[in-house]
Amino acid sequence: MGTGEFGDLPFPRQQTESSMKKTLTAIAMLLAASAAHAQDTITIEFAYPYSHLFDVTYEKILPKFKEQHPNIDVKIRATYESYEDGTNTILREAVAGTLPDVTMQGLNRQAILVEKGIAKSLEPFILKEEDFAKDGYHDAMLTLGTFNDDIYGLPFSVSLPVGYYNMDVMAKAGITSADQLPKTWDEVVEVCGTLREAGVRNPMFWGWNITGNWFLQALMWSQDKATMEGTEIQIASPEGLKALETMKGLFRGCDMQNIEWKAALASFSAGEIGMMFWSTSALGAVERAKGDFELKTNEYPGLVASGPMGLPAGGNAAMLVSSSDDPKVLDASWKWLKFITSGEGAADVARTTGYMPPNKAANEVILADFYTQNPNKDTAVRQLPLLRDWQAYPGDNGLAITQVIYDGIEGIVTGEFEDMGELQEELTEEVQDLLPSN
Amino acid sequence: MSDASLPATSTISLPAFRFSAAETIKHAVLILGSLIVLLPFYVMLSYSFKSPAEIMQNTGGFFGMQELFRDDYCIKLGRDAADCMVTPVIYNYTTAFEKAPLVRYLFNGVVVTASIFFIQVLVALPCAYALAKLRFWGREAVFGLVLFCLLIPVHAIALPLYIMLAKLGLTNTYAALVIPWTISVFGIFLMRQFFMTVPDDLIDAARMDGMSEFSIIWNVMLPTAIPALLAFAIFSVVAHWNDYFWPRIVVTGDRSLFTPPLGLREFKGDADGDNFGPMMATATIIVAPLIVAFMIAQRRFIEGVTLSGMK
Repeated sequence: MGTGEFGDLPFPRQQTESSMKKTLTAIAMLLAASAAHAQDTITIEFAYPYSHLFDVTYEKILPKFKEQHPNIDVKIRATYESYEDGTNTILREAVAGTLPDVTMQGLNRQAILVEKGIAKSLEPFILKEEDFAKDGYHDAMLTLGTFNDDIYGLPFSVSLPVGYYNMDVMAKAGITSADQLPKTWDEVVEVCGTLREAGVRNPMFWGWNITGNWFLQALMWSQDKATMEGTEIQIASPEGLKALETMKGLFRGCDMQNIEWKAALASFSAGEIGMMFWSTSALGAVERAKGDFELKTNEYPGLVASGPMGLPAGGNAAMLVSSSDDPKVLDASWKWLKFITSGEGAADVARTTGYMPPNKAANEVILADFYTQNPNKDTAVRQLPLLRDWQAYPGDNGLAITQVIYDGIEGIVTGEFEDMGELQEELTEEVQDLLPSN
Repeated sequence: MSDASLPATSTISLPAFRFSAAETIKHAVLILGSLIVLLPFYVMLSYSFKSPAEIMQNTGGFFGMQELFRDDYCIKLGRDAADCMVTPVIYNYTTAFEKAPLVRYLFNGVVVTASIFFIQVLVALPCAYALAKLRFWGREAVFGLVLFCLLIPVHAIALPLYIMLAKLGLTNTYAALVIPWTISVFGIFLMRQFFMTVPDDLIDAARMDGMSEFSIIWNVMLPTAIPALLAFAIFSVVAHWNDYFWPRIVVTGDRSLFTPPLGLREFKGDADGDNFGPMMATATIIVAPLIVAFMIAQRRFIEGVTLSGMK
């Protein structure tokens, strides 16, 4: 019976809160020189993934934004726990009619929101901007959020695959400086052999298990080949076979264990793994967790000595999903969207995370000194010219296709598949069945 | 006398020390089982004491070395490195309370679980009474439906429920967290089983004294049902206190409506590294009230389960 007290509690609380607010607003109105000022405040709602990574970024950006736009309030919603969760939440909120104004979505999950008509085109706002290109937005970045020739998403944080090296372990293979680090996957396998002879049991970890088959796409782009062309999966191509063979060579040659990311990070931190290939975005986590050894990041190896010809971009983009018709709200949303993806706002991405701001001006002007002081963060920036799409699989079976390919690659790691030609056929057939046919 | 008493004591105390293979195996299995169950709690508690580096490198023993480490979050906000040195255990627990406003979440948890349980009892007792003690046409069919509803997993009906609440404009409110759980078929079933064991004479006597049916439920049946209600309370409170799925679905806008388990997500980074220390500190704080409550109510709980025929 006593439990009723709890049930009643929130309501009087809210009442006192709202009456407090009323008094406060009244005071503010009296104090403000013009009464109109208080009424002009526009609130926009905003949601993003990965609290632990980006909370600090927005905490830094918000005061700067507020300074420039004192009459826009950005209300931050509950964060998404992952990119997939972010997409699910937006799809659900679209049904319920409770969409936020601006949302951050995984680069490979933008397409579905555009297809379903939830995301709004940013073209009308871009047309109104005078020096959009001068603000540092350049084509390679903009294509990541372009669908049917319209821009829907502005990339906010971008990551590329890089190599993490424990230089204390690498010294056992006679490698002591960055220019001696392996440049091709064949060299990686060679170093693995030397390290194993020197008694390193677990020389290498390769992030095949990153969401969205990111590393398969990395090997495909390395050969300048898209994984998806229209509605055709390209695993059947010679480049596809080369990608699978390269993986097999790496897994066998380095005797790589089938461990999940958390275990790999733990082993690398403990100094057991010499080379780890993963996203640059994990740099903060690696630095925080690592033991007492020298860490160096270096360019992602390629299939030939000149390095990869392209690499898929990871990360997230800002999208306008506001269901409001009020031009003031839309305009305020655009201002926020633009602020976080350009200038000081974008520079804070690099300052607080392992990601890069996808903005030329921010990287080259504001952050010039920053990268000299943080050489490990500079690796990904040097790779920026290689930036390509993180491709989504079209149709409703996108997630299922990701899983089919994931299972296939896992089979190479565990040794279930030996004949890559056979695997190539099998994967192509299974994936093609799941793709829409036109 | 003393001669006679000695063998007597030894014969009495002997059975306590007698070796029995069956008992030993039983205990070995139970000890093994409890170790498996307790291990995650051990890890949780240990991580909540340690620094990120100790957690990832698996060093520092159970409590960690408690050496100062640098809090990156604080550095990134532009403060001086000297002011950002923190002791792991203090950092983990203060971060749990500050970054995720855990007090607010715990308050939400109490409001939600208490409201759910209160309304569940309000509904389940009269239903169970009717199903157990009143004779009416179709009673068995209704009971059959109750049993059938037990078989429906909540995940199967989550989307229709969500859309219903959305159309009523109730998402992101306490109501959305409470309403779908107010009718517990499990509660009805449990209480019905218990009421079946209450002798009819008691109810007949109450009727003869002129009590109404509702008055019988609240003044006669409720007091006899306390042990069963306690058992049901544990099932209900544990399920809704720990629920991650449903709050996650309906609370997407307002962080201040989060229930405690949703607080865990504040420390997630997935491929870019999770913040395990504060995450495990949060988990420890969330499970602590449940463990304490279970310890206190342990005997009542087992009584309740056995009494209500859930044998």
